[in-house]
Amino acid sequence: MGTGALMSLGTRAMAASYAQLQTTSNNIANVNTKGYSRQEVQLATAGGQFTGAGFFGRGVDVTSVTRAHDEFLTREASLSSALAAADTARSDQLLRLEKIFGTGESGLGYATNQMFNAFADVASKPQDLSSRQVVLSRAGELAARFTTAGQQIDELQTGVTGDLQAAVSQINDLTSRIAVLNQKIVDGRGSGQPPNDLLDQRDTAVQDLSKLMQVSTIGAEDGSVSVFMGAGQALVLGTRTTSMVAMRDPYDNSRVTLGIATEAGNRALPTSLLTGGSVAGLMRFQSTDITDARNLLGQMALAVGLQVNEQQSLGLDLNGQTGAAMFRFGPVSGLPVLAANPSSANGGSAAISLTLQPPAALTAAGVSSVQASDYRITADGLGGFELARLKGGEIDPEFAAQSVLNGDVVDGFAISISGTAAAGDTFLLRPAGSAARNMQLNMTNPKLLAAASPLSATTGSMNTGTGEVGAIHYDSTDVAAYANLPATLKFQATAVAGQYTYTWTDSTGTRVPNTWSPGQPIVYPGTTPTNSFSVQINGVPTAADSSASPAVSSDTFVFGANAYPGSDNRNANALLALRDNPLVGAIWSGGTLQQGANVTDAFAGIVASIGVRVQSARSAAELSTGVAADAELARSSKSGVNLDEEAARLIQYQQTYQAAAKMLQVAQTVFDTLLQTAGR
Amino acid sequence: MRIASAHSYEATIDVLQRRQVDLSDMQTRLTSGKRLLKASDDPAAAARAERALAAELRSDTSQRSVDASKVIMSQTESALGDAGDLLQQLREALVASGNATYTDAERSQLAGAMIGMRQQLLGVANRSDGSGSYLFGGQGSSQPPFVDSPTPVGVQFIGTSGQLQTASDTALPLSSDGVAGWLNASTGNGVFVTQSATNSVSGAPITGAWIDAGSVTDPSALFPVADTGYRVHFTSSTTYDIESYSVSSPATPPTVESSGAYQSGKAISLHGMSVTVTGTPTTGDQFNVAPSTPTLSVFDTIDAAIAELKTLNRTPAQRAQSTADRLRDIDSSMASLNLARSITGGALNLIDSETTRLGTQKLAAQTERSNAEDLDLPQALSEFQNQQTGYEAALKSYSMVQKMSLFQYISG
Repeated sequence: MGTGALMSLGTRAMAASYAQLQTTSNNIANVNTKGYSRQEVQLATAGGQFTGAGFFGRGVDVTSVTRAHDEFLTREASLSSALAAADTARSDQLLRLEKIFGTGESGLGYATNQMFNAFADVASKPQDLSSRQVVLSRAGELAARFTTAGQQIDELQTGVTGDLQAAVSQINDLTSRIAVLNQKIVDGRGSGQPPNDLLDQRDTAVQDLSKLMQVSTIGAEDGSVSVFMGAGQALVLGTRTTSMVAMRDPYDNSRVTLGIATEAGNRALPTSLLTGGSVAGLMRFQSTDITDARNLLGQMALAVGLQVNEQQSLGLDLNGQTGAAMFRFGPVSGLPVLAANPSSANGGSAAISLTLQPPAALTAAGVSSVQASDYRITADGLGGFELARLKGGEIDPEFAAQSVLNGDVVDGFAISISGTAAAGDTFLLRPAGSAARNMQLNMTNPKLLAAASPLSATTGSMNTGTGEVGAIHYDSTDVAAYANLPATLKFQATAVAGQYTYTWTDSTGTRVPNTWSPGQPIVYPGTTPTNSFSVQINGVPTAADSSASPAVSSDTFVFGANAYPGSDNRNANALLALRDNPLVGAIWSGGTLQQGANVTDAFAGIVASIGVRVQSARSAAELSTGVAADAELARSSKSGVNLDEEAARLIQYQQTYQAAAKMLQVAQTVFDTLLQTAGR
Repeated sequence: MRIASAHSYEATIDVLQRRQVDLSDMQTRLTSGKRLLKASDDPAAAARAERALAAELRSDTSQRSVDASKVIMSQTESALGDAGDLLQQLREALVASGNATYTDAERSQLAGAMIGMRQQLLGVANRSDGSGSYLFGGQGSSQPPFVDSPTPVGVQFIGTSGQLQTASDTALPLSSDGVAGWLNASTGNGVFVTQSATNSVSGAPITGAWIDAGSVTDPSALFPVADTGYRVHFTSSTTYDIESYSVSSPATPPTVESSGAYQSGKAISLHGMSVTVTGTPTTGDQFNVAPSTPTLSVFDTIDAAIAELKTLNRTPAQRAQSTADRLRDIDSSMASLNLARSITGGALNLIDSETTRLGTQKLAAQTERSNAEDLDLPQALSEFQNQQTGYEAALKSYSMVQKMSLFQYISG
């Protein structure tokens, strides 16, 4: 055994230590490099040399440099970061949405109440133009707030669209980078050693991709990985990629849906494939939160606007004319007519439009008022159409799909269909969607506020009972419709004690008596079914009783056209009372009415529901961010670089290096000793 | 377990940032004094605060309506007070005119004074609230509501009787029913009217006797048959028949019910009523007793009084009849206006209690809103202190831990 063996041992040890020092330094150098995995030198004994005395070690070999990596932890970190990104993206957007529904003095609820309350001052002084002007100013302010809120939602949608388009191009960048890296890794593996840095880069790309869109990866034998979106659609197969595209929504150009580019053109992907990543959060925000916010806002705008318009039309203005509409939705006044959005894939020529119905007509017909929902109409191609209500972009299970015909009235709107539809043609109906944005004040002249009621009631001066006219309900302000007025209402006692009948006497004579039960409205039969009116008598009137001694004559109540609309305030009071009218979202079901909310409660409800959404989205985001942080901690504890550890290793390897150098020194000394001995 | 250095830096910076955000959030709350900055801070409380704000606004609005009613009602009250004073003066003038020693000329002078008072009274009835509406305009009227028309119509109410009210929350009057107050006093003594009719023989007014306003002796016996009045018909200067006649169709021949002997100043009883005829009636003189109706206009009374005072050469019995009738009517009108005044007073009372109620309601709404959205300052301050300490501790521990590195020790 010569000293050569010692030399060789020392040299090898030095080389190994040096390699370790180098790797440690590399670790220190890359401590802050994103995605870097700690590397380690793998050592192995260089084998033994057999002698008669047994095996002598030949030293150490550097076999490989490996990275500290755990497949499971890395995947876990990607997955949890995908969920966290989805929740955070939605939560961030919802925070912006929440600002639109301001509370307190800057909120819509306040503006609505202010407008209604301003009618109280008109009621106190109907002929005062300044209090009328205040109503108009408040109404203008309300319409402006609705419009602004509607526009802000539109801007949010524009932002989401932009974000989604940017995300899609980032996804495409990342998938092509993964494909390139796959190629390099396959090539690199030919050398027999793992291309650590390339693997790190690919893991980083997959993780970045996960933050945008949750993906799953499957490794192949050759070292490449394939990337799949959600459950099925392949994005990267080895070195081939499939591009994603941000497509226009088939119903609405301002919205985006996701699709993939195929040879046959772009193909839309169902949103259910999206389970995580910021794209999923944004898509969910777009399809549920923005839609709901728009519909809730629009529903309230319509409830306020249409009711005020209707009550206006039941009164007389300062000029003695029927009240004009105070609000309009869109460029022209009158009942809003909205075109349904046809799908861009429709083959037929059919067009569908909706006409929103006045609240009283809906109540009379027992039809629900406008709901905060979108609807979809699907044609069967044979002239039949089926209507389904949507909730978060999907069909609402609580609303049984029903077939509709031209002219049908559903949930506050009448459907009119023209043209012929091909089978499978679909249309998106948004009765409330655009109302807030389009709400405008339709009145500039304060004289046109209809503060007066067209009918007035007088109680006979000879009346001895306690009866008073409580309220008059009428459907027409057309005085000509009440051509037979004035009409006198009288009561008659019957054989049954306490039971009265009533009779109307007008220019056509005395009508047939009807039974009266206290509290029940008394209907005056008009010339046609639409121009009757009904009155409420509070208290107990004295009824005519010819059998009494002496005979008692009836109390009289005379109803006639209002001769002095200038000083009358009853319609202003009715307009004021609208603030308590529970018509926002009233639902008729099976002939019974489930009352909606009044405007205050409706807005408080919207505020609370958006607030709850934000709150739950925020806590979901906090939770999933925490989970993602834990997963990242676990991953980084495996792969990350700890400087103290590296410092310790530096000392360790430095000492090994010094020891190895010492070995060489010893070897040289041994050799020198030998030479000196031999040289004597 | 290994702590990756880069990750530990990141995590620590994250924590520090989060603490800083919390701190600044709390600071915003402290400076604004609000616990609720966004609905998502506490959605249920946000909804409650919205409702409370609406309730507060509603109280303010109702208070404005109440104030509007108060302005009108206090003016009405004072107008009715003025009307009462004027009627009192008129009454005094009427009493004075009954002085038997007055000459026709003196009575004419009194009539002149009464014309002035009548004009003032009409002015009171037509008083406006100073901003375009009339206190006694009812549900709506011409401007002004009481219009002087030539006799025999007299003063008319051109408008719709009744009253305007504020919204149903308060339902307070915004005007008074001028018809009820001024034009619909009860005729006669409130139960029946005595009236000196004509002589059935000559068709001329009665000149020798007069009838008083009468009184009720038995309320249960009053007017047993509907639409029937009674008549004291003198069959001679000392005898009379009690006849019943139809009020609605006076032309129908009357029915004689009973007869009696006349004595001047002695009460005549009929159907629970007692009337007294004084003087020397002649054969054919008729005095009617009919049910009272709410149709007496204060202006008609004054107009009649003035006309009668201006008429020359009336007999003492005629003058006595006039004085008695007009005093009776003025008293009835005063009672009617006093009733209107007490209704107004009732409304003013209601206004006061409404004001108190609305104040309480507003306070409750404000408290509710404050409970829902305001910050509990002591609690918030101590929490802020906590957060500050926490942040300080985090900074300190960060700087200390980051100093601890092996490299520190192997530098030599």
